[in-house]
Parts: sequence; C-alpha cells; structure tokens
Amino acid sequence: MGLMNPQNPSESSDRHAISPRVDTLDGKHVGLYDNGKAAAEPVLEVIKRRIQERYDDVTFSKFTLDYLNQSKDPAKMDDVQEWAADGLDVCIGAMGDCGSCTKFLVWGVERAERAGVPAVGILDEAFVMDWKSNAIERGWPLRYKEVPVRSEVADIERVERDLTEGVIDDIIDELVRPRTDKERDLATPS
Amino acid sequence: MTHVSETGSSLEEINDRLYDQGATDGLPIIPPTEERVEEMLQGTDRPRDEVITTLGNRDDPITVEKLATNAVMAGCTPIHLPVLVAGIEALGDPWSNSIQFSVSTGSWAYLWLINGPVRDMLNVQCGTGAFGPGFRANRVIGRALGLAYKNTTRIHPGVKDMATVGSPFKYSLVAGENEELNPWEPLHVTEGYDEDESTITLGGPNSFIVWSPYENDAQHVLEGMVYHTDLEMFGRHYADHQGTIVYALNPYNAEELAEAGLTKREVKEYICDNSHTNIHKFARGALRDAAFESHDDEKVTPLQVPQISDPEYIRVVTIGGGGRFNATIGRSIGGPVTRKIEFPDNWEELLDTYRIEPNWVKDAEYYD
Repeated sequence: MGLMNPQNPSESSDRHAISPRVDTLDGKHVGLYDNGKAAAEPVLEVIKRRIQERYDDVTFSKFTLDYLNQSKDPAKMDDVQEWAADGLDVCIGAMGDCGSCTKFLVWGVERAERAGVPAVGILDEAFVMDWKSNAIERGWPLRYKEVPVRSEVADIERVERDLTEGVIDDIIDELVRPRTDKERDLATPS
Repeated sequence: MTHVSETGSSLEEINDRLYDQGATDGLPIIPPTEERVEEMLQGTDRPRDEVITTLGNRDDPITVEKLATNAVMAGCTPIHLPVLVAGIEALGDPWSNSIQFSVSTGSWAYLWLINGPVRDMLNVQCGTGAFGPGFRANRVIGRALGLAYKNTTRIHPGVKDMATVGSPFKYSLVAGENEELNPWEPLHVTEGYDEDESTITLGGPNSFIVWSPYENDAQHVLEGMVYHTDLEMFGRHYADHQGTIVYALNPYNAEELAEAGLTKREVKEYICDNSHTNIHKFARGALRDAAFESHDDEKVTPLQVPQISDPEYIRVVTIGGGGRFNATIGRSIGGPVTRKIEFPDNWEELLDTYRIEPNWVKDAEYYD
C-alpha cells in the first residue's frame, strides 16, 4: 500500500505575471504602502526623500494600515487595491521584517500588482525566503528588495544611515528593470 | 536491521523522503500508509473527505483524512482523533489568531489545555509532570496538531515560520487540568461548557516561567503570581486580538487560595489590581501604546498602568501534582478558543482496543 500525503500543495494553481515596469520614476506618481509595521514609516519616509532629491516632478501618495493585522481584512485589502488603481504609476511597500509582517506585505504588494501597478516590497534581508514562499503560494513572482535596515529598527537616523544611495538605486531598479521572460510569462504549473 | 514498510521502502527511506518534503517536525514519524490512515479514521464518524475548517494564508482546507494522516505520523491512535478534530476547529477560529502566531518572529507555541472526562479516557496527564515529557496522549496530541497545521498551511520553519529563536514548546505544550484537585470550577465550565463535556482550549504563548511562592499561604501565592508575571506578559486587547496570561497553579497553592475564601474571579481581580507597573518600564511596544491610548483623554500621563487591564485577560487553571511550583504562561496572542470534543458511536469499543494504562512501576508485586 502507498503512503498518504500529509501536506497541501505549496503553490497556487493560478500563476500571474507581474506588471510591466516603467522606464523612469521621473514624472511618475509613486505609491508608498505602509503595512503597519513600526519600521515602515521611517523607511518609506527616507525612500521618499531620497527619490524626491533625484527627480523634480515626482509625486507621492501614501496608504497606511492602522495596525499590521488589518491585512487579514479582505475589505481593507480591497481598499489598498483601489488606492493603487487610482493613479499610481509604481508602488513601494514596507516593511517585511518579521514572519507575519512579511506575509502581510506580500498581500499588500500583490494588491498593487493586481491593480496593474509595478510594485516592490522592502525587506530585512533575513526574510527573503519568507517573502518568496509567500509570493509563490499566491502564484506571483513579486519583486522585493532586501535592505540593510535591521528588523524592528524605527530610528530614522539608523534608517537614513542604512538606506544608502546604492540601496535606493536598487529599489528604483526593481521598478524600472524590464520584466524577465519568467516574470512576464510564468508557466502554468504542471 | 532495516524495517520494510508496506510501501516497499524502508522506514528510514520514508522518513528521509518526508523530511525532505518538509512534512515532519524533524523527528522520525510513523509512515502514514493507507492502511494506518484507514485505521485512524475509525476515530470519527465524519466522512473522510469532509473539510473540518480552513487554515492559514490561503484558507487551506483540512479534511478529516488529511488530519488522520498527520495523526498517524505523530504516533496517535484512533482514540486521539476526536481531540484532534476539536483542536483543528479551534485553530480555524479567526479569534485563535493562528494565522499570525504560527509564523511570527515571536516564537509563539500552541498551548493546549484539555478538560472533562476525556482526560481520564485517554490518560491525559493532569498531575505530576503534566506538561511532560513522558505521557503519550499529551505528546502525540500536541505533535499531531502542530504537524497538521504546518502541513496544511505549508509553514516551514526558517522559511515561512519565522520564529527568531524558535520554541521547544511549539508542539508539546499540552496538559489536562487537574480537575479532581481543583478547588474551583474547571476551565471549560468558566468558558461556558458543561462539566461533563470534554473540551480542548487553544492559546498562543511564548514564555513559560516556573516559580514557587516564598511562603505557602494565600497572600504569598498571590504575590508570586504578580511578581512572576514578566513585563512581556501583559493582558489587554490590542489591535484585533488580545494578550492573555495563563496561571497554571499546583493543587496545593490553589487549595490555599480557596481555603482563604478566594474565588477564581477574586484571584484574577487581585492580579489585575496589583499589576500596576511604572509606565517607563515599557520603553516601546504594544503595552505602552495601549496604556497611553487608555489615558489619552487626560491632561497628564499617569506614572503607572495596569499590566493586565481586566480579569478577562487571565485564565487560572490547576495543573500538576505534589509540590509547590507553579507556571506563568504567556503572553498568549492567540485565543483563547475552546471547542467541545465529540466522540464517535464506536467510542467504547475504540477505548477497549486502544486505551493504554501506564504501568511503569510494578508496585503490585511488592505492596498490597
């Protein structure tokens, strides 16, 4: 007799391509998605300031969850998608620096992508596999950028120190670098 | 000698394969053959394809069969299945907050407290050493529920279960309440069930502090409860869940509280009333935020706030045997959620077949 499978599938049966990237952030309307984690506010504040310094006519819109677990509310996630669909050109989400918040950030960034907005999630580098596994289970090759900001750091001076110009380059790159073949045409699971 | 299973693969090969798939907890498992799963299903009257509930990020369904498969792997027998079904129902309740505490860096464990006649039926340990190790029902129930949750939701540790330091308690924090030596109503009655019903209660704590009072009287027991509630252990509503503290009192100290005329409710009120803590000890975080919010209509900030704001955030249970040590368990960010255990029609036959009475010391050979 055979063995019974104790597990559910790890992947979604539906796969999705991420949205086409933009050519530049110049002149674009940038969404800043705050998933309610303490570090999200200073991280997004510093990213916003650094991008503003580079582009004269970039504009911003911010969506902030009151607290992390609001991500569990589908109606609130619908609000995120509506916000993204309402004129955003790109979206930057923060912060993935714990188990549940990385997962919930995936959910928020997915909503931006569902609205057709190219998006990137900002992570503590220790949570990359957490990001990937949560994105994979939802069927999306969602982009992320791991940053040197350590988990739970909300001190803006430390955030400013860690988000160097090189890190900002990399974040912008995730929004402007053209999609790979895999990102554009993710194969249906066999 | 290598044991060959019904699959044609050795026990070792099956264990290696399932470990490689991320289906185990790192320890060897019993191979979930079709035959063993079929046998396990004797423990329920529910159809094998019935969805008990949904769990985790994707609302993944868990069927009776899937639960039975994980129960086999954990070492359960069919008499454990009714408890597991109720436990899975508790995990599926949104109030359990399992979707968060199961993957959080906070290294939260699954706390399971068992009440009612099922304790005796299954030999769930409630007395000495109740939290283990050594007692089959306590160990396999916690293991099976942990495996079932993990394998349904695919939360591999270090990948999606991001517990920073992890928890040795994660799948093993299971005990029955020592109702026979409990001077008050048992937990499940406090939670609204009848005394003759059997229940399982879920929490999601990450700390377990063992302590004894300086003197063995009610005053010192209460002081011990207050002093051994760490600053991380706060009780209040926060966001969409609540922080809860469980005090597992040994029967002697519980008796001393009761003999002093204290009800369980009065014990909880005493803890709350005496939990006021200097607000500056909470440099940041949920308690500080909540404390300030609760006083935001005042012109000045108080210097002390209650660490536990209401008796509803406390559970007092009697667990353990002889001795003077107690446990403070918390804070839990899940539940508590209590579910009734339902038994199949063939329950008595199953007990006759599978119930084991430990007989570790052959005292009958030496003593009348």
